[in-house]
Amino acid sequence: MLELIDITKKYKQTKAVKNMNMYIEKGEIVGLLGPNGAGKSTAISILSSLLEPTSGDVKFENKSMIKNPKSLRQIVGIVPQEIALYEDLSAEENMKFFGRIYRLKGKTLKNKISEVLEQIGLTDRRKDIVKTFSGGMKRRLNIGVAMLHDPEILIMDEPTVGIDPQSRNYILQTVKRLNKDRQMTVLYTSHYMEEVEYLCDRIYIMDKGNLIASGTKDEIKQILASENTISLKADHWNERFITNLRENPQIHQMKVDGNEIVLVVSKDVNIFSKLAHLAEEANVQLRAVDVKQVTLEDVFLHLTGRALRD
Amino acid sequence: MRGILLAKFTTFIRKPWVFVLFTVMSIGFTLIIGYTEGNEDKITVPVAGAEEVRTGSIGKALEENEVYHFKWQEETDLKEIVRLGEAEAGIIIEETGYEMFIRVETPNVQLIEQTIANIYTEKIRENQVLELFQSETAAEEEAILTAYHESMDQPIFEITNDNFRNADSSQFDEGLHAIFGFTLFFVIYTIGYNVLPILIEKKEGIWDRMILSPLKKWEIYLANLVYSFFEGYLQIIIIFSVFHYLVGVDFQGGFAGILLIMLAYTFTIVSLGIFVTALVKNIQQFNAVLPILSVSMAMIGGAFWPLEIVQSDILLALAKLNPLTYGMEALNNLVLYNLPFEEILMPVSILILMGVIFMGVGIHLMEKIHI
Ligand SMILES: Nc1ncnc2c1ncn2[C@@H]1O[C@H](COP(=O)(O)OP(=O)(O)O)[C@@H](O)[C@H]1O
Ligand SMILES: [Mg+2]
Repeated sequence: MLELIDITKKYKQTKAVKNMNMYIEKGEIVGLLGPNGAGKSTAISILSSLLEPTSGDVKFENKSMIKNPKSLRQIVGIVPQEIALYEDLSAEENMKFFGRIYRLKGKTLKNKISEVLEQIGLTDRRKDIVKTFSGGMKRRLNIGVAMLHDPEILIMDEPTVGIDPQSRNYILQTVKRLNKDRQMTVLYTSHYMEEVEYLCDRIYIMDKGNLIASGTKDEIKQILASENTISLKADHWNERFITNLRENPQIHQMKVDGNEIVLVVSKDVNIFSKLAHLAEEANVQLRAVDVKQVTLEDVFLHLTGRALRD
Repeated sequence: MRGILLAKFTTFIRKPWVFVLFTVMSIGFTLIIGYTEGNEDKITVPVAGAEEVRTGSIGKALEENEVYHFKWQEETDLKEIVRLGEAEAGIIIEETGYEMFIRVETPNVQLIEQTIANIYTEKIRENQVLELFQSETAAEEEAILTAYHESMDQPIFEITNDNFRNADSSQFDEGLHAIFGFTLFFVIYTIGYNVLPILIEKKEGIWDRMILSPLKKWEIYLANLVYSFFEGYLQIIIIFSVFHYLVGVDFQGGFAGILLIMLAYTFTIVSLGIFVTALVKNIQQFNAVLPILSVSMAMIGGAFWPLEIVQSDILLALAKLNPLTYGMEALNNLVLYNLPFEEILMPVSILILMGVIFMGVGIHLMEKIHI
């Protein structure tokens, strides 16, 4: 339905997106995962025809959208990363404004506004000025405003940044429901891997302008199929133990996080006796050793050597 | 486009503070600086002299002077005042001549000296007249002098001594100048802060939403421009109306003309706002640039003092690039100098031309830099 073909976007000093390929099929929820500065916003601006790529093509139903994006614009709704609302207007006035610019009026507009307000759970706050809203409510309205013209595809740029867990769950549920009930296609951008893992059928992972992995959840986790992720817990570590782990060739990646150390090791070696031995030698009291379920976070760690969130 | 205007007006009605603030400041500053009467705007000059000189014709002439406020002092105090720099000059007067104390030679010192010299010259002329008629009694002298003054009031040829502080001079009217200057100055802020939301809306994504909608890009720009123009012009109308109808300032029949000239000026400043918005990277930069720009425009363009007293070639050259200069020029030509229509059309045309250029370049840059 919608594709990015070999897209590169250069700014003066930086290449924000490098040779990126991506496609979205009708009815899917596609995730775009990556840390801050990865190039996610740039990629989706290009995808939604707001930004011209330096090279490459954007195709919608096999037609290039670079020169004439009209047909694409009619069917996308975007949820910008910032709160793109008039803060001094009420929720309803904002919806009227953004509905009118899509040429909705009269009864149609009114019904649509009531319907969307219901979906985002803001019916009883419709008359209130946006400035008085909590972060979560603003985020919900930010999404609602993008749905007034019944877009076929909703492009969301980090729609849950900086809000409380309840609002976050509410938003995730809403996205899931929109997809189920109305077959809405969604491109969901985030740097929270749990969200993407929960929502998305297929996932793209970006880092520093590069696409470093793509596929279904299981396909991506297959990248780590030959490896195990092991979690060690203890009350405290010492220098010697950590150095020993670092120098062990069977350990591919490691991350120290307070009381926990996460290791990525090959599946075919039996590392457990080795770990026990190292701990004893360094006089470290291990409290727990677990083989963890592979998460997207682990994949990211494996591919980049860094955590997704810094 | 109607929708955008509606959203903007609703926001304006809920948050009119910037507008109100700059309107009030504009009126307030004008009242304080242009319309405060009394000795404050006369320069005080200490004078000393014997009792009979003070009450004599020289003393009277000094007290009646319209430009300077001559204040009687003891001779020692006078010297002290001048020495401390509290006055630019002090004068000790006698029947036949005067002595002047100064600390530094300033342009004012020359003007004071000229004023005193004129008074003595007048006195000598009177004495010559009296001698000519060989009068005996005080009553006779009085009659002769009255006749002399009357004949001087209908002279065969006239000698005038003017300087721009002189109340008779219509070349520089502080009140009108203050109205024009402060209005042109403060409206830059009002318009600036109305163009700024374009930057904010672009950054936050409201603009993106509009671009993706069936709205045409020109409609988005036009709505923003119309709105900024409206608010700037509304402020101007309010300020001039307050002075015209409430304070009772006489615009010499030029009230309608002023409002027409201000249409061009408002347009130019809106364009300048677009241009500046396109150049800055973020809101902080805009907030830093706006006061620098407006204050320097006001100073160079003659909003705070008449350009006639500026001597620097560089400043005068810069003034030629400054829309505010042409706004002041058009208003002055219309109201103060009563010049013919062409003399007003010229600066107005330059304003419109500048407006078109700023607008064109500004929108072009905006399109290139952000999206
Ligand atoms: N308008 C711009 N001008 C210059 N550099 C930009 C611009 N927009 C983004 N970048 C740079 O491109 C990179 C990717 O940014 P972005 O797409 O916003 O990342 P993300 O959305 O993943 O956080 C960053 O290094 C950012 O600094
Ligand atoms: Mg982003």
